[in-house]
Amino acid sequence: MLQFDAQILGNRELAPGWKELVLRWNGAAGHPHAGEFLTLRVSSALDPLLRRPFAFASFHEDPDGASRAGILYQVRGKATRILADLGTGAFVDVLGPLGRGFPDAAQLEAEGSRPLLVAGGVGLGPILFLAAQLEAARIPASAAGPALIVAGFRNSAAIPRAGFPAGTVTCTDDGSSGYRGTVLDYLSRELPPGNWRLMACGPAPMLAAVATLARARSWEASLCAEQWMACGVGACMGCALPVPGGASFLRACVDGPVFGRDDIDWGKEGGGR
Amino acid sequence: MNIDPRVRIGPLVLSNPVGVASGTFGYGAEYEGLMDLGRLGAIYTKAVTLEARAGNDAPRIVETPAGMLNSIGLANPGLEAFVARKLPELRRLSTSVIVNVAGSSEADYLRVVEALEEAAGPWSPRSGAGGATGQEGATGVDGYEINVSCPNVAHGGLAFGTDPAQVERLTRSLRAATRRALIVKLTPNVADIVPIAKAAEAGGADAISCINTLVGMVIDTRTKRPALARGTGGLSGPAIRPVGVACVWKASRAVGIPVIGLGGIMCADDALQYLLAGASAVQVGTATFVDPRAALKTLEGILAWMEGEGLAGIGDIGALFGRS
Repeated sequence: MLQFDAQILGNRELAPGWKELVLRWNGAAGHPHAGEFLTLRVSSALDPLLRRPFAFASFHEDPDGASRAGILYQVRGKATRILADLGTGAFVDVLGPLGRGFPDAAQLEAEGSRPLLVAGGVGLGPILFLAAQLEAARIPASAAGPALIVAGFRNSAAIPRAGFPAGTVTCTDDGSSGYRGTVLDYLSRELPPGNWRLMACGPAPMLAAVATLARARSWEASLCAEQWMACGVGACMGCALPVPGGASFLRACVDGPVFGRDDIDWGKEGGGR
Repeated sequence: MNIDPRVRIGPLVLSNPVGVASGTFGYGAEYEGLMDLGRLGAIYTKAVTLEARAGNDAPRIVETPAGMLNSIGLANPGLEAFVARKLPELRRLSTSVIVNVAGSSEADYLRVVEALEEAAGPWSPRSGAGGATGQEGATGVDGYEINVSCPNVAHGGLAFGTDPAQVERLTRSLRAATRRALIVKLTPNVADIVPIAKAAEAGGADAISCINTLVGMVIDTRTKRPALARGTGGLSGPAIRPVGVACVWKASRAVGIPVIGLGGIMCADDALQYLLAGASAVQVGTATFVDPRAALKTLEGILAWMEGEGLAGIGDIGALFGRS
């Protein structure tokens, strides 16, 4: 974890409202892992005030030893509109890597199950990063079968040109591209039987639905939550998510954002967005 | 000119006037990798209550124009876990530690302070004097900040802080329990902060800190419901700074004990407004979320400004108020 000013290497549009930001990474901060995140201060003005969290979508080390980190984001509010206008060469205040990510390749290999990677909307970034990390670790070869990626979008216009791995199943609510229906429709109706191991990131209702499905099918599952947060380092207690039974909370920023299937009451996640 | 940045709060000498506010800095360890904690004047911990508190339902925070609204609900591991897990970490820090204490009743506050006195052991000015903590003699508790101003709990909190008689009685009973610095944190959610400030002084407080957050609400017009699960929350950030400066200006003229100013300090200029208004020290809160190094940058800016003004001590700043 490090706070530093990162130079913007790219900030291109992937689809209307979707952008990819690539930053020159400071190696002293450490290598990010899929599911971990960074926070950005998009402007030194007082409004918007707070840093914004974004999950890593890519990380590359160049032959010269320099490294690059990418995020995918949707332009949805004040802060992301400012971010969208930042040009190559500009600097942005970065804090990261933060949080606990998805199980690493060694753990998945030990489990011997087949990775099932599910993304909804802006949850695509960390899922593509996870797919790339599993590919690099040659997990598909040693696991029960190649990783399957299932990604859901509203319609074909909302699908970013983000370099999906071959074999990715895209789902659209209106059927304008790929499978017609939600990722949950696909998983519950079309997924071939197998020794699946679910890893997912997306909106709260999607996570609640896939957590329920994972329990019903007895899949191990790791789910990456989204929650408003102020500090990102475990101090403010703002990003609380309820545990089942409601007696306590876990912090998305340091206890997660990736949690086990039964760690969080996904149906009552409340405020996840 | 040599600047002496130290500040005296009752028996305690802080190494400099800039601390980090309760609720924004955890118990210190959260930010340890991001800055040199030893350069802070003080760490005001997240509130400690007698029993563990899970806190309020989510969502707990929402951003507002130049501010944020929170309803955390004093989430904390409780006295026992604080003593077992946090106190040993705090003892290692080379900065003054002020433990923020909250409760639902007078007895709650007293039991927390008594238990911390017992756990931390005897305190002498030497163990707390600027720079001596974190070394031999550090107890992990150099003082208490009594939170009678949390707007986000059903019992206690704000209910105490708006009644001068209750503030005086509570302060007096805690005063009898400790020789450590005793600071009472006041709410701006009153018609006049002066009677409350005077009550804390009469009860034997070494200082008052003001202000805690202002009660506010954000409504999501899409869902027609409050953005926070609990409805209202406490407003913090630069939007409330003028309210805090006015409270400090009023309170510091009404009491003889030091006033610690907080509320929306983002930079040295903001902190200097508080010091000019009569504060003896300041706390940086929400700004730490925005920039973890905000408190340290604020300190550097204050010292640079003092050098430019030819001032030797923090106490000289307030004397300049009203002069050009």
